[in-house]
Amino acid sequence: MENVSRSARTKKTAVNVSLYLLMTLVAAVLLFPYAFMVSKSLMTSEEVVDPKIRFLPAAPQLANYLKLFGSGSGYASGLLHTLAIVGFNCVVVPLSASFIAFSFAKLKWTGRNFMFAVMLGTMMLPGVLTQLSLYSIYVKFNWINTLYPFTIPNLFGGGALYIFLIRQFMLGIPRDMDNAAKIDGANAFIRYLKIVLPLCKPVLVYVIVNVFISYWGDYYGPLVYMRASSAPKTMAQVVFESALEENAATYNANIRMCGGVVMSLVPAALFAVFQKQLIEGVVMTGLKD
Amino acid sequence: MNKLSLKIKKTIKNSYTGWLFNLPLAIGLAVFTFVPVVISLYDSFFQYDGLNVRVWAGLGNYARIFTKDRDMNKVVINTLVYTAVSIPINLVASYFLALLVNNTMKGVTAYRVFYYLPCMIPAVAGGLLWADMFDGTYGVFNKILGFFGLGPYRFFRYEDMRALLSVFIMNLWGVGGGMILWISAFKNIGKHYYEAAKLDGANAWHRLVHITVPMSSAMIFYNIITSVIGTLQYNGTLTFGSRNGRGEENALYMYAVKIYYEAFERGKIGYASALAWIMLVVIAVITAVMFKTSSWVFYAEEN
Repeated sequence: MENVSRSARTKKTAVNVSLYLLMTLVAAVLLFPYAFMVSKSLMTSEEVVDPKIRFLPAAPQLANYLKLFGSGSGYASGLLHTLAIVGFNCVVVPLSASFIAFSFAKLKWTGRNFMFAVMLGTMMLPGVLTQLSLYSIYVKFNWINTLYPFTIPNLFGGGALYIFLIRQFMLGIPRDMDNAAKIDGANAFIRYLKIVLPLCKPVLVYVIVNVFISYWGDYYGPLVYMRASSAPKTMAQVVFESALEENAATYNANIRMCGGVVMSLVPAALFAVFQKQLIEGVVMTGLKD
Repeated sequence: MNKLSLKIKKTIKNSYTGWLFNLPLAIGLAVFTFVPVVISLYDSFFQYDGLNVRVWAGLGNYARIFTKDRDMNKVVINTLVYTAVSIPINLVASYFLALLVNNTMKGVTAYRVFYYLPCMIPAVAGGLLWADMFDGTYGVFNKILGFFGLGPYRFFRYEDMRALLSVFIMNLWGVGGGMILWISAFKNIGKHYYEAAKLDGANAWHRLVHITVPMSSAMIFYNIITSVIGTLQYNGTLTFGSRNGRGEENALYMYAVKIYYEAFERGKIGYASALAWIMLVVIAVITAVMFKTSSWVFYAEEN
C-alpha cells in the first residue's frame, strides 16, 4: 500500500517536473527574440556585424541609448510627438466615449436604438475604405503633415468599440443610484459627471491603456497622413523608416534595436501593471455577443 | 389633453437631452465615416490622385482590376492563402498552448504572462526585429541554423511561397493572444465534463474534439469571423517586407498593401477606392456565408 502511493507520488513529481521543463522551454522560445533585441541594442557596432553567433555583448553599451536620443537622430522629437498624441487621446477618448455611452445606457430618447445600430454597423467597415477619402478631405482641411488627423477625430467618441464597452459597463450600474440623484434634481450632465463616470473607473482604465498602446504603436496612420520629411514624425514612424534603410542589418543595427526596445518596453510595462484589466478586456471583447 | 401635452413635452425634453449627449457621435460618424464612405464610392469611378481634378473613368477602374492589372493574381492568391492558413494555425497552436498552462501549478500565472508578452510588442518593433533576425547574412536565425549545418535561408526575401511561410513562422510568436481566449473558454466549461471524460479515458485530443470545441463554439465562431475580417485587411508586411511590403517578385504582396501602394505610393486614390470597395463586398459576402453556415455553432444557455 505504502509502496503504491510512493510510486504514484514519484510519478506525479516526474509529470510536474517535465511540465515545468516544457513550459519553461516554450517561454524561452517565445521570449528569445525580445531578449535578443535587448542584447543586440547593447552591442558595439563591431559586435553587430560579427559573423560568429553572438548572443551577448562583451560589455553592455548603455551609451547606445544616449546615441538613440542624441541630436539629429529624430527619435527624440519622434518621442515627443508620440507623447503629445498619446497624452491628448488618453484624456479625450475616455471622456468623449463615456459621454456618448451615457446617452445609450442611462437616457431614454427617440432614435437611441437607431443610433446604436448605426454605430455598431460602422464597426464592420474596413478602415482603409474611409482612410482613402479622409486623406483627400484632410488635404482640404490642411491637416496633412500635422498631428490633427490623430487627435481631432477622437473628440467625437474615439471609436465604436470603446463606446460599446463603456455602455455595457454602465448598464451594470444599479439604476437606484442614478434615480436617487434624479429625484434630488440633478440634471443628466451632473449625473454623468458625478455619479456614473466615477463608477466606470475599471472600464475607463481598460480604455485608456488600450488607447495608449494603439497610438503608441501606430505606424500606419503616419504613413498615410504624414509622408513629408518636414512632418512632425512619431516614434513608431521613425522606427518604421529606420528599418527600411538599405543595409539595415549592418549599419547602426544596434541603435536601431534600441529604438525597438524603447518601443516595446513601454507597452510591456503597461501590461505588467494592468495585466488583469487587459486580459479581462481581451476576453470581454472576444466573448461579447 | 393637458396630461397628453405634458407627456409629449416630457418626451421631447428627454429626447433633447439624449440627442445632446449623442451629438458628438452623430457629428463624428457623419464627418469621419459616412461622408468618406460616400466619397470613396464616388472616387472609385474617377481617375483621381487626391489633390487635383477628378477625371471620369466610369467602370474603368473596376475593369482594370479584373482584367489588366498584372499584380492582382498574385495579390489575391497571397491574401487567400495567408487567411486560410494563418487562422487555423493560430487556433490550433494557441489551443495547445492554453492546454499547457491550464493547470493550477505554482507560478503558472507567470508563464501565462510570458506567453502573452509578445502580443504587447508593437508591430513596428516586431517587424524591425524579425527582419533583422531573418536577415540572409547577418540574421541570428541563419547563424543558429548554420551551426547545425543548415541554411542560409532568405526568409522574407524569397521570391516564392517560402516568404509567406516565414510570416507564418513569425506569427507563432503571437500565439499568446489566442491562448488567453482559450483559457477563458476552458473556465466557462463545467469541470465535471472533463472529469467525466478523464474517467472514461479520453485523452487531450478527445477532450478537445468532444468537449472544448463544441462547448466553446460560440467563441470560436466569433473569433473566426473577426480574424477573417482582420486578416483579409492584413498590412503587416509593410514593417518587414522588402519593396514597400510587397516582397521580392511580389511574394508577400497582399490586398491591403496593394491598396496602400496604389493610393499613397502611386497617388491613385480613385483606383485604390475601387480596390477598397471590392474588399468591402468580399468581406460582406464571406461574413454572410459564414453566418449562413453557422449551424455548427452551439449557444449554451446563459446561467
